[in-house]
Amino acid sequence: MLKRVIAFAFCLPLFATGPLPITLVPVDEAGFQKLVNSHKGKVAVYDFWATWCAPCRAELPQLVKLGAKLRSQGVEVITISADEPEQKAAAEKFIQKFGVRGPAYLKQAADDDHFINAIDPKWSGALPALFVYDKSGHKVRSFIGETDMAALEAAIHKLL
Amino acid sequence: MRKILVIALALSAAILSAQEFKAGSPVADFQVRDLDGKAVSFSSLKGPVTVVTFIATQCPVSNSYNQRMIELYKDYTPKNVKFIFVNANRSEPASEVREHARRVGFSFPVYKDPDNVVADRFDAQVTPESYVIDNSGILRYHGSIDDDMNVSRVHTQRLRLALDALLAGKLVPATETKAFGCTIKRVHKVS
Repeated sequence: MLKRVIAFAFCLPLFATGPLPITLVPVDEAGFQKLVNSHKGKVAVYDFWATWCAPCRAELPQLVKLGAKLRSQGVEVITISADEPEQKAAAEKFIQKFGVRGPAYLKQAADDDHFINAIDPKWSGALPALFVYDKSGHKVRSFIGETDMAALEAAIHKLL
Repeated sequence: MRKILVIALALSAAILSAQEFKAGSPVADFQVRDLDGKAVSFSSLKGPVTVVTFIATQCPVSNSYNQRMIELYKDYTPKNVKFIFVNANRSEPASEVREHARRVGFSFPVYKDPDNVVADRFDAQVTPESYVIDNSGILRYHGSIDDDMNVSRVHTQRLRLALDALLAGKLVPATETKAFGCTIKRVHKVS
């Protein structure tokens, strides 16, 4: 009985603090390429979003669900916030609320046009933007604007 | 037969989404609607230099540019630059556009682009997104108003640079920049 009480007492701080807060990691063009390289061997979905973007906010919880569903099959959803630096705290709060798996990222580019072109020269920078990379680290699909999750899932399945 | 139909549908979708007005090419006449629904042609609104900017009522990025757009209008209208502000969002009706313009103090009219026909011809994707057309009707600049949503961090006044160059009879320094903002909420067409 005493053991149980002690164990419960030790667990209390965990319940009190909840999950560890996510701190957005800044990423530039070179950092993004490193991310792509580090996810070789998996199908990676990069979600560019922002707190001010209503469709992004609507989509993020669905992406979290999809990521959780497909993780065991080698799929990783990585979020990159395009928020301004002063919105960083709000973005962290948002992804925390919806259970986004860390690490999560914050675009930090010296030149936005250069950053956008480095991700995809055809991308206007419009949000939300999803880029799907195959296991070799090659970009194979992009979904710009509101995305049908079923279409995204079908595109991912083709790469598994 | 079914295959032909699929190809035809795909082609019509491609045509619908094809960009007609490109930097360095002429801009043909187009029509927008005033907030009472009356058709207004580009040819009746244009000037020696014309700026077409797609904006929104609900987009925080577009709204962060409200004051900058008011200042652009104030600074360049005396220089004979004409401005055509267009709302192409299906989700923002004329009544909302009118109320928004009143609330934020726009000193210029805003037009509607029903079924985003004009946005499609320009291939405008976000709000705000600007296009500058010269006296010959050639599209000379396409992109953002400046390089940062936060006015305190703006380094390059992209639209102003384009306008200053055109008014001075010079080449626009950067004809294409990336516009950033909220996606234009289009009507659903053939897909």
